[in-house]
Amino acid sequence: MRNFFSSPTAIMGTALLSIVLFAAIFGPMIAPYDPQAFDPLNRLQGPSLTHLFGTDQFGRDLLSRILTGAPSTVAFGVGATLLGVGIGSIIGVVAGVSGGWVDSTIMRILDGLLAVPDLLFTLLIVTILGGGMEHAMLAVSIAFAPGMARIARSAVLSVRTRDYVRAAVARGESGVYIVTCEVLPNALSPIVVEATIRVSFAIMIGATLGFLGLGAQPPSTEWGLMVAEARQFMFRNPWCVAIPGISIAIAALGFNLFGDALRDALDPKRSHG
Amino acid sequence: MTTFMITRRGMVMGLAATALLPALDMTDALAAGTPKQGGTLKISHSTRIATLNVLNCSGPAEYPVVDMLYSGLTRMGPDNKPMADLAERWEGSEDAKTFTFYLRQGIVFHDGTPCTADDVVATFQAILNPDIPAAARSVLNMIDKIEAVDPVTVKFTLKTPFADLPISTAHANARIVSKAALSGPREKLDTTANGTGPFKLETYDSARMVRLVKNENYFIKGKPYLDGIDMMLFPDLAAESANFLSGAVDVMLVVQQADFQRIADATGITAQRIPSGRFVNITMRQDQKPFDDVRVRKALAMSVDRSTLVDIVLEGLGRPAYDNLVSPEFPYAIETPEIAYDPEGAKKLLAEAGYPDGIKIKLVASNRPAIRAQVAIALKQMALPAGFDIEVETMPHDTYLANVWMKGQFYMGYWGMQATEDATFNLLLTSNASYEDTAWKNKDFDKLIADARATVDPAKRKELYAKAQQLQLDETPYIVPIFEDILTASGKGAEDWTIAPLSRYYYAENVWLNKA
Repeated sequence: MRNFFSSPTAIMGTALLSIVLFAAIFGPMIAPYDPQAFDPLNRLQGPSLTHLFGTDQFGRDLLSRILTGAPSTVAFGVGATLLGVGIGSIIGVVAGVSGGWVDSTIMRILDGLLAVPDLLFTLLIVTILGGGMEHAMLAVSIAFAPGMARIARSAVLSVRTRDYVRAAVARGESGVYIVTCEVLPNALSPIVVEATIRVSFAIMIGATLGFLGLGAQPPSTEWGLMVAEARQFMFRNPWCVAIPGISIAIAALGFNLFGDALRDALDPKRSHG
Repeated sequence: MTTFMITRRGMVMGLAATALLPALDMTDALAAGTPKQGGTLKISHSTRIATLNVLNCSGPAEYPVVDMLYSGLTRMGPDNKPMADLAERWEGSEDAKTFTFYLRQGIVFHDGTPCTADDVVATFQAILNPDIPAAARSVLNMIDKIEAVDPVTVKFTLKTPFADLPISTAHANARIVSKAALSGPREKLDTTANGTGPFKLETYDSARMVRLVKNENYFIKGKPYLDGIDMMLFPDLAAESANFLSGAVDVMLVVQQADFQRIADATGITAQRIPSGRFVNITMRQDQKPFDDVRVRKALAMSVDRSTLVDIVLEGLGRPAYDNLVSPEFPYAIETPEIAYDPEGAKKLLAEAGYPDGIKIKLVASNRPAIRAQVAIALKQMALPAGFDIEVETMPHDTYLANVWMKGQFYMGYWGMQATEDATFNLLLTSNASYEDTAWKNKDFDKLIADARATVDPAKRKELYAKAQQLQLDETPYIVPIFEDILTASGKGAEDWTIAPLSRYYYAENVWLNKA
């Protein structure tokens, strides 16, 4: 961990992530304008001193919209991932600890689900549940669960046969104790790393759903929705598509690089190199 | 050529009136000269041609196709007046209760069989048959009897006098289908077409392209000029405009407001802007709170900044409307007073109606076309200071049609211009209108519309329609904030392309390609 900041990936990821998290926490407070206020006289303008990122088709200030959209976008990514990790880990740990036919049954079902691409699976669930931010979040987390379960299971399997676990079994500890106090803490790091990287995918899927009209509803400032709404005006003011697009890219890249660096730092084989 | 000139003039008048687009290049088209024969015209459209059934199709790209494939007894001209189509002339009795239409000699269907009075009678009987879905029934239901006097003469006897029958027979969904096709399996009408129009169906692929070829036996000699027309589907708007600008397609059927200026500015392109009575209406269900109170409806009407809506939603390509469904183009339209944007006054009115703290309500807008959601978002913002806390919910069009349309309490409607005042009011506002969705159901209004329908004297009709419109303005059953212009564009070499303000008549037989 000490060498975490020695890699450019880590520095870059941390920097981008800081920007995104800063916007997510303080964005709505520092937004210079009301993100929903129309300004019919200043529509579709490029960046200027009064509107740093320009304005959209209703004359709404893009900077303010990006800043107020940040919390929901980041919350969506983090929330969907946490939920997916939660569901996936429980399934994976149960499978890994039980072994035998329980393990086989669970994993074969999950393998089947893994064959369906994340986005397609999410679209399927959203279509069944109906659109909206909460449903989209639930859909992403369900789509993430099989992959997370597989990683959690492999982590559990790798520590299950370690001596300290055997010692606990020999001491006659209860199954719950062994799982929560001996297995999980030692199996956690691959799960955390995977989760961090997954946040970037969740953000992108969330933006995609918003773009397709299945996620957040207008006049929400969710970034994917902003791109979709502004697409018609892309030739007249490219900024109104570029700004939310770049924001999505920064958020996704930030989480992704940070996750990558975290993996490198936590991997004992590499940290000695 | 006359039809073409009239459209041009209408268009120029529209332009002059709004004075927003001075830089439209029309010299090219006016100087184009004699039409040339041959060539295939490629038309791009962004909505699917889901059916070719002329009796009840309603898609924006389905209307041009059935206009090319079929002919009616009469057809609406670009001046909104009925003109000759299959019937070369017609006459009505003094009391407007019997009408006789005289067909042209020697008309044949695409398969070569003759089109006679029997086919006309069979078509109108099918339209009036309640077991067959037919969109034109509501404007033709005053017909009592249709007879074929001889092979080229058809006589209509009406239950009540109705002077506008030649307009009703021009309805886009009242085009003549052969008796044989009507007595066969009706599903065949969805995918095949045996009409008398200027073009014949060659291939029909609803997901990609509909190809039409010239009808050599069209009843106007020398027309159509084109050898064929390809209707090409582009589900993505950006791809459609890119293909049009690159010259891969000749005509862009519908141009989006956001793109209009960019396309009009491109070299060699004739962009047309045709003023129309097409409108967006805010539907407020009046058999429940809060819209049962006319003061609440008036308050909302005062919370809409209409000229700003024209600027930001229509990009200036339209006109503000003031809650009258009848646009100024209609012969009996009254001078509609302006409704000023007055959130303060609206707030007071709301308090009077018993809502001093305002109203929190959900407004549903379908996602197609985009204008519905745009008006909804703008309305949310404009009505906020008046105390209306509106939550906008957008949804896919199919979900909207299934769950909200005709049922919901508060949603965005969108309608094309109708041919007559009678058709407009019987579409939406009378108690037994085809798409009555407000529960307004005003008996006085119904009587005025029924009386006007049965009145022959134009002065008396004018008076009755004026009263009906005034009643509508007093009661505000709908909020109609804007009238939208029809926008279309044709590329270099595609001459005499035009659309009627009713947007269901395209006159493709006059279009020709001026290419070397």
